[in-house]
Order: sequence, then structure tokens, then C-alpha cells
Amino acid sequence: MILALGGVSWWTARSRAQALYTGRGSLKAMPNYHGWHMALWVLVPALLGWAVWNGVAPGLVRSALLADPAASILPAMDMERDAIVNEALAAARNGGFGAFRPETAQLVPAATSILSRFDLIGAALVAVLAFAGGAFGFTRVRADFPARTRVERGVLGLLLAASSVAILTTVGIIGSLIFEAGRFFTFVSPIDFLFGTNWNPDPFAPITPEIGEKLGALPLFWGTLFIGAVIAMIVAVPLGLMSAIFLTQYASPRFRRWAKPILEILAGVPTVVYGYFAALTVAPLIRDFGTVIGIGNPTTESALAAGLVMGVMIVPFVSSMADDAITAVPQSMRDGSLAMGATTSETIKKVLIPAALPGIVAGVMLAISRAIGETMIVFMAAGAAARLSANPFESMTTVTYQIARLLTGDGDFSHPSTLSAFALGLVLFVVTLMLNIVALRVVKKYREAYD
Amino acid sequence: MTEPALPPQVSTWNSPEMAKRLQGRYAAERRFKAIGAGAVALSLSFLAFLLFIMLRDGLGGIDWAFLTGSDSTDADTAGIWGAFKGSLLTMGVTLALSFPLGVLAAVYLEQFAPRNRWVDWIEVSINNLAAVPSIIFGLLGLAVFIQVMGLPRSSALVGGMTLALMTMPVIVIAGRNAIKAVPPSIKDAALAVGASPVQAVFHHVLPLALPGILTGTIIGMARALGETAPLLIIGMRVFAAAPPEGVTDTATVLPMQIFLWSDEIDQAFVQNTSAAIIVLLAFLLAMNGLAIYLRNRFETRW
Repeated sequence: MILALGGVSWWTARSRAQALYTGRGSLKAMPNYHGWHMALWVLVPALLGWAVWNGVAPGLVRSALLADPAASILPAMDMERDAIVNEALAAARNGGFGAFRPETAQLVPAATSILSRFDLIGAALVAVLAFAGGAFGFTRVRADFPARTRVERGVLGLLLAASSVAILTTVGIIGSLIFEAGRFFTFVSPIDFLFGTNWNPDPFAPITPEIGEKLGALPLFWGTLFIGAVIAMIVAVPLGLMSAIFLTQYASPRFRRWAKPILEILAGVPTVVYGYFAALTVAPLIRDFGTVIGIGNPTTESALAAGLVMGVMIVPFVSSMADDAITAVPQSMRDGSLAMGATTSETIKKVLIPAALPGIVAGVMLAISRAIGETMIVFMAAGAAARLSANPFESMTTVTYQIARLLTGDGDFSHPSTLSAFALGLVLFVVTLMLNIVALRVVKKYREAYD
Repeated sequence: MTEPALPPQVSTWNSPEMAKRLQGRYAAERRFKAIGAGAVALSLSFLAFLLFIMLRDGLGGIDWAFLTGSDSTDADTAGIWGAFKGSLLTMGVTLALSFPLGVLAAVYLEQFAPRNRWVDWIEVSINNLAAVPSIIFGLLGLAVFIQVMGLPRSSALVGGMTLALMTMPVIVIAGRNAIKAVPPSIKDAALAVGASPVQAVFHHVLPLALPGILTGTIIGMARALGETAPLLIIGMRVFAAAPPEGVTDTATVLPMQIFLWSDEIDQAFVQNTSAAIIVLLAFLLAMNGLAIYLRNRFETRW
């Protein structure tokens, strides 16, 4: 609707500007730009008004409905009343269908009339804004009006706004995590949360001061590090590093051209597929292996299964980081070593890897940050048991696993057990951010050293 | 005339010890090369093993009824069309939001941005957002889109918006590289014949950078298509017996369907899960193939 209005205004202003055209140099801007200028004046105020109205309207509708005489029958209990009001509004939107409670049915006619009234007010508001903007824009269609400069100023504003979405997202992430985690920390002290060793959240337990004793996240941090930073890296670092060395130093260009994209497919397979593969194929193999060597474990879920598969997933990432680091070592260093009679492998081990070490270490840090943020593999293969154990055949749980489990349950969003997911998210965000910042700084410094 | 008669045993180069030492060094060289080849082979064979298991379990399950059916409690009648349509709607929302935002942001940062603190903050945000774990975006979607803005839970709209925030940094980074690759002489030529900076960029630089931007966009969309964790958090873990009609309906997506089926106790769902994985992988492969094709077809060396 609004867009159609914009189109109409574009056309009007353009044709009017065309009518003004009397010969070369008679117009200061092309008719097209006059069209865009007026279209912007119609669209921007109308869309802004629409957005603001959508933001405030639900609250206004709710208070209007509560003030309505029909609402006097509602119970005074906040939660009960909110549920009925929500149901009535949903039913009113569906044409009276979906009113399950008797109170709701009585409220539906009032809700319907209030909704239609507010919809009308909203539409009128948008229309007024569009026409006011349009009228203003229309009066600007004059021969000496620099429409292009104005339009371009608007375009630059639009570009800046689009870029600022990134900041908005970052602020949104930090803000929502801190806000919800703050609510959590009003129930549980941060010390209990960070250093407690008993993790046993129950979203239906009564909220007592002792609830913090069951929300000690240390076993989760241990499980996350053990799976993501130990097991996965034991798999990913040697495989990735050796693959990178082979592909950059030994393989023929033809083999490299084929093998590298195929290796990259490993990074493109969705994590849910890895999770399924880990749970269904790898985990039983590992359990059988564990039974053979005498570490029996009745469940198939194990830290090893999740860690192994996660490690393979990270291989292309480590490989391409190591590739970059090795290629950045100046060719003269390699040539010097070869000229002294060293073999290729001696050159790699004694010259290239030491020189590329900062870059490789940074790559491993980025890989760890990726591994500890990974959700689906551990969600499907690692298990729910929170324990501090160094036995990789046992099931273990991670931060991401618990976030996903707590927020997909039926728990109430204001219960500390559910809110703890946001506190876990905050910890995860801070840790991955630190790893990334440090790693990127190392990479940058190292690049400067050779440039 | 005196010959420099060095006794043969003094020459270390062809002594037996030296030959042995040299052989040892060559053996180490071969071992090292073999380990490298082994690492590549091991990674590739893991991929082959994974694909083999999926094809073995799932290929028999792909038929017309499976491709056109919706989720069901009975493994025989369950199909993926419902989840697939949910994926399409979600991807539509993601593309509609992240592509314009990403391209405009890339143009701004590469061509118009002044050097000031606000722009520095934008760059830092984009680089960091690209590395934030996906589940954190799910928490953002839950807290902002569902709880604050009151949008319908489990809908393709919220899923698409959440994934759009995740995909935008990818598009911005790819877009900046594509725009950077267009030689400045093109812009200079446009400016020289009287175009304004905005005209020079939008009429000349951007069209030349478009293939690169599209490649980056497709790769970002492929990543979003395979994403599960953030959608789990915003509640798209639902049993949807009918395909969603619009972006505000309760919907599920293809990876989520795989996850749901993998949780089923019934052994018959193993075939369904593997079949759905084959469909998803085929789609991702096609998208990546398209990206590679676009890059090779339209890439210009200046």
C-alpha cells in the first residue's frame, strides 16, 4: 500500500518536472530525481510512522481492552488475566475462532471493536503522514530545485543506517544477554554460578535462596573445554596442519586444485548432519571400542564421539588458517634453507613452522572459539550428564547443550533455571570474543612483522 | 707438480656413515610426506564415509510421497515438503533483509565512509559478529524479537530475521572485497565526465562488483540454510503436520526436521532422516556449485 503510494508520487513528480522542461538547462535536476525526491518524502515519514505505531499499538490496545466495561469480569490475578486477554485478542483477529475459555468468549466482541478501531487509527496516521510528506515534496518540484543533491543526501543517510544495523545487533546481543543474566544474578550469586560444581536445573522447583546450589556451572565449563578445546583439537590440529603442509608444499597444483574444495565441503556440511552421524554411527563404534579395552559405559553418548566428529568438522578451518600462515612466510627464508642442503621436510620443520607459529596458534585459537560455540553435535551426541571427569568415554555436557535444553523445555521464562541459559550465553559470548580479539591481534602483528 | 692427494677416507661425502645418514634423512622426508598425504586422505575418507552411510540408509527413502508429504507420526507417510517450504519462507525473509542491508553497508564502508569513531565501531562490530557462535543469535532473537517485539514464536518471520542478522556480516565482508576489486579508474572516469559520487558508485562500480557480491550472498545463504541451533532457541522445534501458509505461521525447517526425526525411537525414521539429509546436502551442493559457477563465469581480471 505504502509502496504503491510511493510509486504514484514518483510518477506524479516526474511528469510535473517533465512539464517544466523547456529546453537544455531549464531544469536543475533530471525529472527522475524529482520523482525520487517526492517518493522519499512520501515513504520515509509513512514507514517511520508505521513502525512506531506497530511498536506502541499492542500496549494501547491492551490498556483500552482492560478499561472496557466488558473487562470487569476478569480475575485480578496478573498472569491469569494476561492469558485471557491474549486469547481474546488472538480470537478477535481470527474472526471469533479460538476462544476456549468462557471469559474469553465474553471479551471477544469488545476486543474486536477495539482492534478495528486501533487498526483504523493506525491506517489514518500513516495516510496523514504520507500525504503531508507528499505535499511538502510536491511543492519542491520547481525548475531551480536541486533534487539530485537532496536525493543523494538521503541515499547516504540510508547507507549509514544500513551499516549501523551491525552496531545495533551487537548492542542488542550484549544488552539482552546482560539484562537477562542480570535477572538471573538477582536469584543466584555469580560466585555460586561460576564455581559451583553441582548442575541440576529444575524449571519447576520452588524459588528459594538455596536454588543457587543446583546451578553451579563449573562442570559445564569443564565439559565444554574438554570436548571443544581438548578432544576436538587433538583431532583437528594434526590433521589440519599436516593437510595444509601437504597441500602447500608437496601436492601438485592439479591435485591441490581438486583436493582443497573437496576438503572445504567438510566445513560446509550442516552441523545437524554431523550430530546425527556422531550419534548414530560414531558413538556406537566408540562404545564398543570402550568395552573392548575395558572402559564399559552403558550409554552410547560420550564426549569422545562428539569431540572426534567436531574435530573433523574443524579440519578445513585449521587447514586454511595454517595455509595462510605458511604462505605468508617469505619465500627467501625457504629458499635459503633449501640452498643450504636441507630437505623439504627439514625446511618445513625447522624454518617454516617456527616462522609461521604465531599465525598457526592464532588459527587454533579461532578454531577453539568455533568449537566451544558449536551446538548441534554436542546436543545430539554428548549427553546431558554434568560431571567433572577426564574419562572421554563418559557422557558429558556443554554450555551450548544446556542453553539449548533449558530454552526448549516448558519452563517459565522468569524462573532462574531458564534464565541461567542467558548467563551461560553471556559467558560463552565473552570467552569467544576474547579468543577472537586476541587471535586477530596476533595475526595482524605477525603480518606486519614480515611485510 | 704435486697432486693434492687427499686420502679417500678423509672425504666425508661418500663414506658409508654419510651415505647412511643421507638415507636416513631421505627416509624421514618420505615419512613426512606420507604423513601429510595420510592426513588429507583421512579427512577426505571421513567425508566419503559420511556420505556413504547417508546414501546407504537414505537413498531408498526418497520417492514422490516423501518429497511432497508433511511431517507425520508414521514414518511411512512422513515427508519433507512442510519443512522444505518452511526453509524456503525462512530463507526468503533472510534474503530480503540481509541482502539489501549487507550490500548498502558494504558500499558505504568501502566508498563513502569517513574515518571517524562511529565507522570504526561499525567495522569492529561486523568483524566480531562474523565470529559470534550461532546459538547467541538465537538468544538475541528470543529476547528481542519474541519477548520485546512480541512477534509470533516458531514462525518463519522470526527465524528469517534471526538468520538475517547472522548472514549480514558475511555479505558485508564479501561485498567489500568485491567492491575493492573494482579498479578505481572506473569510478574516476565516471567522476571525470560529471557523474556525482553516488551516481558513479551505483551506476558503474556496483554493477561490476555484483557477481562477487552474489557469490558471497549465496555462500552466506547456504550457511543459513544448514543452521539449526538459533532456530532451536526461538522455538522452531515443532511438529508441523501441514506446510506453513505464510511467514507468521508456525513452521519448521529442513535441518530442524532432521533433528526431530533423529530423536524418534522408531527405527523406520532412520531412513527418513538420512533421506532428508541427502536432500539438504544436495541443495547445499547445488548452491555452492552455483556460487563457483558465477565466480568463474563473471570474474573479470582487471
